[in-house]
Amino acid sequence: MRVAAHPELFDPDAESPTLRATRCASCGRVAFPPIAIGCDVCGALEEQLTPIAVEAAGVIHASATVHRHFGEPPTPFTIVEVRLDDGPIARGMGDPGSDGFSVGQRVAATWQVERVDDDGNDVVEPVFAAIEEVRS
Amino acid sequence: MRRPLSDLRPVYVVGIGLHPYQRPGETPYTALGVHAIRGALADAGIEWTDVESAYTGTATTAMALSRLMYRHLGSTGIPMVQVENASASGSTAVRQAAFEVAAGLADVSIAVGVDKPLNFTMPQGAAGARDLVGGRAAPFTHFALLADRYMHETGATPENFAQVAVKNSRNGALNPNAQRRKVRTLEDVLEPPQISGILTRLQCTPIGEGAAAAIIVSEDAIERLGIDRSRAVRISSSASQSEQVYDGENFDVALTKATTEQALGEAGIGPGDLDVVELHDAFTVEELLYVEAMGLCEPGHAAEALMSGEFDIGGRVAVSPSGGLLAMGHPTGPTGVGQICEITTQLRGEGGERQQPDARTGLAHMVGVGAVCVVHVLSRPA
Ligand SMILES: [Zn+2]
Repeated sequence: MRVAAHPELFDPDAESPTLRATRCASCGRVAFPPIAIGCDVCGALEEQLTPIAVEAAGVIHASATVHRHFGEPPTPFTIVEVRLDDGPIARGMGDPGSDGFSVGQRVAATWQVERVDDDGNDVVEPVFAAIEEVRS
Repeated sequence: MRRPLSDLRPVYVVGIGLHPYQRPGETPYTALGVHAIRGALADAGIEWTDVESAYTGTATTAMALSRLMYRHLGSTGIPMVQVENASASGSTAVRQAAFEVAAGLADVSIAVGVDKPLNFTMPQGAAGARDLVGGRAAPFTHFALLADRYMHETGATPENFAQVAVKNSRNGALNPNAQRRKVRTLEDVLEPPQISGILTRLQCTPIGEGAAAAIIVSEDAIERLGIDRSRAVRISSSASQSEQVYDGENFDVALTKATTEQALGEAGIGPGDLDVVELHDAFTVEELLYVEAMGLCEPGHAAEALMSGEFDIGGRVAVSPSGGLLAMGHPTGPTGVGQICEITTQLRGEGGERQQPDARTGLAHMVGVGAVCVVHVLSRPA
């Protein structure tokens, strides 16, 4: 079974990754990562911050391949900024199998197994990979 | 209601001192700091007993470090406090010292920046704030992402970014307080190791330690202590802003633009009036982004202006004549105070080999993670 590396950020049960975000009932701000305590645009109280699911799909805003890093994962790996179809820009990992990214390229997340935990579960996180499909 | 610094009584930088920025080593921070402070006192021609308050910009050393350092100058019982504002800690210490003197609460205050790179802590863990990448996106990757986006938007090339490091290495080689003092060619700068995205090692600020001090006084103090008025540099404005939600617009740029506009406006000048600028070039891409955000050239044309020498010493406006964070270095707490030292040197006409001819007006700019931005405008003695 799949478990989330960071359950507060995404739902591991979804077939393709969806991200956990919040929408402010007062000003409409969609925040990813989701925000608690108070809205970072208008200051509305936590009760106004509604959890929503957003599709982990959008277009590349920027990308960078990291060559120098201490600890996991081994280099090189790629960090991407994705302008999600639902609004916010999310920073995430690029699919290690991808052949580089370019600004404007359409991407969607797939599950990547980070490790297997003690109970034999796949600990997953979403990684962004290029897709052909055009969203209608 | 908010009021600009210029509504209060005038304040001046009259003494500056530095401990050279250097690779982390065995020198106690207390020795680094006292060296810079003694330099500033000698430069102003005043005594430690004349100083009425102290603000210490520091972010990476330890809690409560001020008194353990200042005691080596003799005990005077003055108020002292650490000012932590990430990379902008030193700039913020200058701002607080300037406010105290401008408000008439003191005649002589000192802003000191001192740090050793011992403790880099970030608040996200304590906030329980997490994102998809966590520690895998270091600051250099944040700026590599900005570089990627900038190339897409302007057609700039990796060589254009590298030219920033070439220019600033040339300036740093002329600065005895700089950590990197070698002139570098484009080939040197582009050479591996690659760090992140288009950034190579020489396009990233080095980790280091050091100290800087600036003595800030009123007209009354100049009169009473017999300070040389012809070397007093006026702080014309001090602006500071924090990040807002910009919906995908580059926040470092948006914040720099707004804060610089405020500082220039409160000084009653425009970007075209600036002769020297020290800015937060921890990574090469930042210089191109910020000169545009400041209005020193048209948006999208920074690389072109850089290549044509407009930002060289002797060019239209000298950008980072000290060598900037890339060559002079970025020991964190000292950096913003060090910028004030450089601008003061330039506006006094004491820059020697790295003097911008006839420099009358200068601007110092720092951003700190968080993000915050602090900008000062300084003017030459009349
Ligand atoms: Zn809101």
